Amino acid sequence: MKETYQGGSLKFFNQGQVERIHEKTLAVLKEVGVKVENKKALDLFAERGAEVDFQEKIVRLPNTMVEEAIDTAPSTVILYGREADQHIELGGTNVYMGTGGTAVNILDLETGEKRKTTSKDVSQIAKLVQNLDNVDFFVIPVFPDDAGKEKADQIRFFNSLENTTKHIMGGVYTQEGQKKVIDAAVKIAGSEVELRERPFISFIANIMSPLTMERDYTDYFRYAVERGVPVVGGTAPIAGATSPITLPGTIVQTNAEALFMVTFSQLINPGAKVLYGVVPTTMDMRSSDFRFASIEMGMMNAACAELAQYYEIPIYNTAGVSDTKAIDIQTGYEKMSNLLMSALTGTNYIHHAAGLLDSGMTVAYEQYVIDNQMIGMAKRVLRGMEFSEERLAYEDIKEVGPGGNFLTANTTMQYMRSEFFDDQLYEASDWDDWVEAGALDARDKAKEIAREILNKDSEELIDSSLLD
Amino acid sequence: MSEIKEVIEAVIAGEVEKVAELTQELVDAGEKPQEIISQGLVGGMDVVGKRFKANEMFVPEVLIAAKAMHSGMDIVKPLLTDGESSSAGTIVIGTVEGDLHDIGKNLVAMMLEGAGFEVIDIGIDIPAAEFVEAVKENQPDIVGISALLTTTMPAMEETVQALEEAGVREQVKIMVGGAPVSKDFADEIGADGYAPDGSTATDLAREFIA
Repeated sequence: MKETYQGGSLKFFNQGQVERIHEKTLAVLKEVGVKVENKKALDLFAERGAEVDFQEKIVRLPNTMVEEAIDTAPSTVILYGREADQHIELGGTNVYMGTGGTAVNILDLETGEKRKTTSKDVSQIAKLVQNLDNVDFFVIPVFPDDAGKEKADQIRFFNSLENTTKHIMGGVYTQEGQKKVIDAAVKIAGSEVELRERPFISFIANIMSPLTMERDYTDYFRYAVERGVPVVGGTAPIAGATSPITLPGTIVQTNAEALFMVTFSQLINPGAKVLYGVVPTTMDMRSSDFRFASIEMGMMNAACAELAQYYEIPIYNTAGVSDTKAIDIQTGYEKMSNLLMSALTGTNYIHHAAGLLDSGMTVAYEQYVIDNQMIGMAKRVLRGMEFSEERLAYEDIKEVGPGGNFLTANTTMQYMRSEFFDDQLYEASDWDDWVEAGALDARDKAKEIAREILNKDSEELIDSSLLD
Repeated sequence: MSEIKEVIEAVIAGEVEKVAELTQELVDAGEKPQEIISQGLVGGMDVVGKRFKANEMFVPEVLIAAKAMHSGMDIVKPLLTDGESSSAGTIVIGTVEGDLHDIGKNLVAMMLEGAGFEVIDIGIDIPAAEFVEAVKENQPDIVGISALLTTTMPAMEETVQALEEAGVREQVKIMVGGAPVSKDFADEIGADGYAPDGSTATDLAREFIA
């Protein structure tokens, strides 16, 4: 297992408010319903007792069906890595943070220019993330422009498998591609049963806001469940545009969409490994710009963890993106504020937490290094005060006394390497020394670290004959 | 019999009692005091200095190693003959008048001691006249002047002037340090050098003595 940090100290809702959100959510699912553009899915819902309007393709769920699904959905889902210390146990208030996608551009590490992402970038980012210890999992972050839609699924998953042993999750572009990916994973696992037991890949197949399931994504979601691979049917409403402008209103709709997907998974296979996937966002009402990192987005994503804890279903959300084009001050404040809130509420699977700029459309190698630091800092916050009699350090205070120093006190010797976060990018040295060392800022240093990692020889992490 | 190599390792590990024991064993076995110091005790601290610069060792570990070195020094120093010296040089260090800040100056002093310098720490809130007295009394190679407050920076210049007026300025090298101090400021007030931290101060002191 990977080292686990606990959140849960930050709360946005009281118990009564959580219950009211739940009531309104059930009302949305029962009265308003969800449009499902997929005949097979409509049949399944109808067969299990949902009220289905085949003309309008609207599915309305009885309260009991939703509540049963909440019951049968697992409270804990372990997403496996291919190394023993990389498994992550989603559930409760465990917090893990990792990458997200899907960007189409990258800031070139050498030229700094924006260009389209390629198959090689998939490999390189995977290699980078493999070496960034604070990043807990790998959501395939970019679309390989050179591959095209037909080959995208294989290239995205296979290049990732070749370069990281961390858990790999991604969306898919074709059913055929999804099948090839799962077939390869079965070979790697040894058998279908072993893959079901220890899934080291998982899928994302989203629902559209407001309240609409697209035909192909419905198939991808269903296929993942049928093959026993964990899946998340994430929803990403835009408050003010595709969901209510009010934060509680968007959360009700988000919750309805997420629970609809949970319910769908449990109708296909009760006990199916599913995550409660929520990514509520906002629109800038002056310009219509999509915001993937507004402070309200941070609040909503973080607050949804309280709903997931109420339902006892592991949560997947978003925090740690930036809307900015340059790597600048906005990058820092957006990422850190959003990330810390979600970590503190105890969000299990915080994706999009590394590498992303430009409202999720662009990545940068150095940004992964910078975000690895931010994730590390968030984990330090989750470690908390580690309160103990010894850490109260009365004996040392007494021994040192007025006017002395603690440089070689007992607690100093014991905790100096672990008490403070080991920050590789900060700058606090003397001004002249800094100038002499090249006057590097955090981004420059991050670029150097990224280059060092990428220049290392690649280890062979997988038998590539299994990938064809 | 213990070997010099073991002394080096014990110094690096900061084993105060073990360094004293090993040093005593070497002395008893007839090893030259000067050798024990330069090869063993100071030799160990040289390794510590390198590891510190490479961010492998932390400040407290350097200080403990220095303490271990001194436990050996205490044994061999009395055995040195008149011509021999245990010290890399002598440094008088203090914080200027009006400034009660202690920790930065202490860190520098401890790092210098660790590098084998004899450090005479005259304390905090020290008027210029007391710096002059300390120089006359101890005949140091170097004077280190510290200030943390921007309001006490002028007192550094006064101290340098007082040393000049007393006619002892040319006998010593003057280094200054403290958060608001810079290389430019050091030049302005007529100091010989500036160091932002204990490790740089040690390098600078070595340059001065060389």
